[in-house]
Amino acid sequence: MSERLDELEERISALRGEIRRAVRARESALTRSLRADLRTAERAWDLALAAHEPPSPGEPHDSRAGGGASARGRGAGPPPGREPEAGGGAGPMLPVRERVHQALTLLGVPSAARMLVAVHGALRAGPLKGTQLASLRRDEERSFRSSPFARPYYLCAALTDRLSASRGLFAVSTWPLERRVVGPLSARVDFLTSAVRVAEHVQRISGPGGEAPPAARRLLARMAQSIPGAVPAGSGFPGAEAVARAARAELDVHAADDAAARAEIARACERLTDAERLFGGTILSLAAAGRPGAERET
Amino acid sequence: MDRLDTLRGPVPPRPHDARAIAALAANPGCERRAVLDAAGVDKDATAAHLGFPAPFGQSAFAITRGNAFEALVKENGCAELLRLLRDLLGLPVESAGYTDLGDMAGDPPAHRRHEHTRRLIDRSAAEADDDGTLYDHPLLRLEIAGHTAYLEPDVVAFRLGGAFHVVEVKSFAVVDGQAEPEKVAAAARQAAVYVLALRTMLEELGHDPLRVSHEIVLVCPENFANRPVATLVDVRRELAVLRRQLARMTRVGRIVDALPPGLTFDLAPGPDGAPARPVAELRDAVRRVDARYAPECLSTCDLCFFCRDEAAGRGSTELLGRQVRDALGGVATVDEALGLADGSIAPGEGQEEIARLLRLAGRVYAEAG
Amino acid sequence: MSTLAALARLRAVRTGTAQRLATVRHCHLSDRPMVLIPLRMAGEAAAPLAVMAGTDPARPRLLVVPQPRDRDLRFGFAAELAGVLLPYIEGMQKATETVERRGAEPYERSVDAPQIIVPNAGSAAFVRMLGRSTRFRRAEGPYAVHPSVPTLGRWLTYLGQRAQHPGSSLLLAATEALSLHWATGQSRLEDANLASLVGWIDPPAGMSGAQAAREAEDPLVWPPAGPATDPGFDNEVLAPAIRAYEETRSERAAARVREAVRSQLDPVWRLVWRAVGLLEALPAAPGVASRWEADRGSFSAFAAQLAEGAPPQPKRDGAVGAASRLARMERARSSYDAQRAYDDALVMAEYRLTGEAFAGTVVAAEPDRAEGEGRGRKLRPLVTVRTGDPVRVAPGTRLGTPQRRGQQAEVVSVAGGEVTLKIVKGMGRGASATPGAVPEVGEPVCYAALLEEFQPPPALPAPEDTPWTHGGPPPENPPEAESSEEEWS
Repeated sequence: MSERLDELEERISALRGEIRRAVRARESALTRSLRADLRTAERAWDLALAAHEPPSPGEPHDSRAGGGASARGRGAGPPPGREPEAGGGAGPMLPVRERVHQALTLLGVPSAARMLVAVHGALRAGPLKGTQLASLRRDEERSFRSSPFARPYYLCAALTDRLSASRGLFAVSTWPLERRVVGPLSARVDFLTSAVRVAEHVQRISGPGGEAPPAARRLLARMAQSIPGAVPAGSGFPGAEAVARAARAELDVHAADDAAARAEIARACERLTDAERLFGGTILSLAAAGRPGAERET
Repeated sequence: MDRLDTLRGPVPPRPHDARAIAALAANPGCERRAVLDAAGVDKDATAAHLGFPAPFGQSAFAITRGNAFEALVKENGCAELLRLLRDLLGLPVESAGYTDLGDMAGDPPAHRRHEHTRRLIDRSAAEADDDGTLYDHPLLRLEIAGHTAYLEPDVVAFRLGGAFHVVEVKSFAVVDGQAEPEKVAAAARQAAVYVLALRTMLEELGHDPLRVSHEIVLVCPENFANRPVATLVDVRRELAVLRRQLARMTRVGRIVDALPPGLTFDLAPGPDGAPARPVAELRDAVRRVDARYAPECLSTCDLCFFCRDEAAGRGSTELLGRQVRDALGGVATVDEALGLADGSIAPGEGQEEIARLLRLAGRVYAEAG
Repeated sequence: MSTLAALARLRAVRTGTAQRLATVRHCHLSDRPMVLIPLRMAGEAAAPLAVMAGTDPARPRLLVVPQPRDRDLRFGFAAELAGVLLPYIEGMQKATETVERRGAEPYERSVDAPQIIVPNAGSAAFVRMLGRSTRFRRAEGPYAVHPSVPTLGRWLTYLGQRAQHPGSSLLLAATEALSLHWATGQSRLEDANLASLVGWIDPPAGMSGAQAAREAEDPLVWPPAGPATDPGFDNEVLAPAIRAYEETRSERAAARVREAVRSQLDPVWRLVWRAVGLLEALPAAPGVASRWEADRGSFSAFAAQLAEGAPPQPKRDGAVGAASRLARMERARSSYDAQRAYDDALVMAEYRLTGEAFAGTVVAAEPDRAEGEGRGRKLRPLVTVRTGDPVRVAPGTRLGTPQRRGQQAEVVSVAGGEVTLKIVKGMGRGASATPGAVPEVGEPVCYAALLEEFQPPPALPAPEDTPWTHGGPPPENPPEAESSEEEWS
């Protein structure tokens, strides 16, 4: 059996060599077929290995004692579905949309996937992966369009001043429109607001005199880096209260201008349909420039 | 124009990105590169078909690292960048605007995106007060020998004190205030392309092009952490070289006119997309345009191995690099130089001094070795 | 580049093999060098992927970081590397000799010193970078590392800095050492590829140097000698292996990364030892021993500093430190250049081409000629040399000669291919010259405007007296607190 493994290993390394040669020679058709061969060989190797090594309890591959139908596809990236739905190990697992909703509710402002992942990881039990968010908005839109307002909330888009869905920002449908649209200062305002919310949350979970978990303090420290006056001189973690205070101070500078710009965009949203108001219109003109009549996208 | 299309064959011209445009400045004397680039020929595919695939490739690790660092700098409405600009340029706290010019519904074509960038930059330039807004994902345009190249800076332009600055995010590290000089130089050349494109746009819009600063903001990770640090880099020199080279490319017409009619670098792809042009035929076509090979091409031009082989076939002293050529006072071939050294070739006019030196070197080498 | 070196390259093109640029070896080669080949993960400044190291060509040690982005694994790796490197370095400190000095305390100098050989200049720079990323770490407090890690960092930093000292052989880059002795038929840029350079110098049977060099450019045949890996290898082999490790964190997956890396390092390992063999085959130049002695002295001094608990080297030199380092390097450069020329007729040949040196035959000599009277009478022999070289030395210039090291002569006149010299030093103190001290008529001689005599170091203030114009005295505690905590990611 181990000769079979040796043989396969030899074949795998030979194939890798050929692939590199083909890539160098820009022979894409050949590269593709070689890669397919490589995957086949790797699968065979996995199977041979599983048969060769009697599964021992506690080993990661004991779950495939059944014969290798769940071969991992080495080198080809994680196959879909392998991601553990249960994370953190403790407590019942919430569906992805609820985890995102939790994080958004905590932050209270339109947020990018990166931020949601960071917040969920630091402040909530259990992981959230960026890849899990990829199709979320599309699924929500499909659900809304098939039966509008059937759910208590939808995870929707933030709207730009062009009234289109912002590429990366998630929002909650129950928020007022003024909060779901973004003007030029909104990115800053929303970031500062997030920092205040995270700081408040850290204060809550640490209680008087207590210390928040390191992950939460690290997140707060990272956000504090780019807020003037939030990081204490010297080293060490910034205090939650100081971060909140510094963030509010800068918020005061921008709040009025931002609110005015957002109100104007929100007014322009009145001509959108319900679905468009949640998931973005297709009007290309600038709402702020006040040009109705807008070219429609082809 | 038609001439360049013929040279390229019936495929869309290869788009120029800023890196490619910046690389033009690396070897301005090379006619082959000027013509192939002006025609938008896919040099990488050409080199591969000729049997001399380019020796480059980018490691997935480097790409991942670059993307991750850029995301870090830009997350939360460029919060980190804002911190850096406040320190570096004294950007006031009120100036915290952020506009993602790439955030348009659907997947609009390049010209639409460029129009959008143009409209917003125009509006910003016309406004009296500084809004200090960061413009993320602008799409700029530059005419390269009659072709439109769209440039997507991984960069942001922003406005302070009436001036626009180009921001270039790079993932090479600055350790104790120092970075690898070649990498800084490459970043400066690339940023110069954006400065030029932005200036051209302002000029077309009737604004003063010099409102685009010649100082770009280079953002790199500091030491071994991910924390970004910003430095101002003066790109005036790079701009001058670039302008000169672009001017040369508009004169590429003269070179093209001198080429035999009907000459083409068409790879004639078959139904499977693989090039079907007889290699010998393509080789002859490429050889019709003179190259100026230098060892530096090995890191900048897809055709380098082909041209090196050609130079070797001619016995050219170009193979040995500029320093050797300088030491040889421009003697063109190895045979000629060795002939001058052993006295079997009489020096031509102006070669007396180098011939004397080479003969002396030959004698001294024989005595000493 | 000199005309001579250019001519050597032309001849290499014509003959298809590398040409000698030196008749003797100008770098020291240890009896027990340690070859060290570091690899770095692409896109990162100082993320080590692997090191292959050892003093026995048959037994390389391979250290691998199965996920170079993992900080803990990286420090684990640094501790492992310390486990390989520090015993080698510390072993060299055991045997010492006492060096007597005029007007100063005698001191202890190690009789041997470590010699690290890396493939190329990029690897040497990476050694410095690894030193920078580890020397400020601390063994206690937050982000504590194994105590050997900061020590490793200081040694790597020391070796990296010493490598910039002209003539030092503590840390050698194989490509640089070979290029000092051979000219190839390709450009300097291509010479930076060790496989290609060795191909020119020592092609396999039945192949020309030029062919071997071309073959060496194929990363599938000859993996790059680092610190960068081949992008094709990264994408097709290493990335999947690292991903598998990331997913399973299993021994098996770690072993797979290890084997992948080994496939890249094994050929380089053999190649560097081949380079060592090529250098070994050259006889050592006379000056090598004295330069190695200076290396041993420098090594012992640093080891002593370290033992006394000196802080890690600062991130940047202070003003006085930088000035004295620069002056030291300049003096080392000119004495290294002179020594090599006097040791090696081929190196001297370059100076003959530029007219700073000349070789010829003695046509007249007045060995007993003297100047002055009575007590002021000084022996000043005159020698006239006929030469075909283009002499460009002005009357009054002091010259030295490889035939009689320590002797000095002054140019009296240069005319019509004849140079008249007055010997002013190194011919004896008696009324007449020591026999053999003055060249005789008919003797072939060479003279050069290069002096290898000791130049005193410039007078600089002590670091604590740095004037304010130069930033004032450096701070007392250079290792900033933040440095031990700074991420290494």
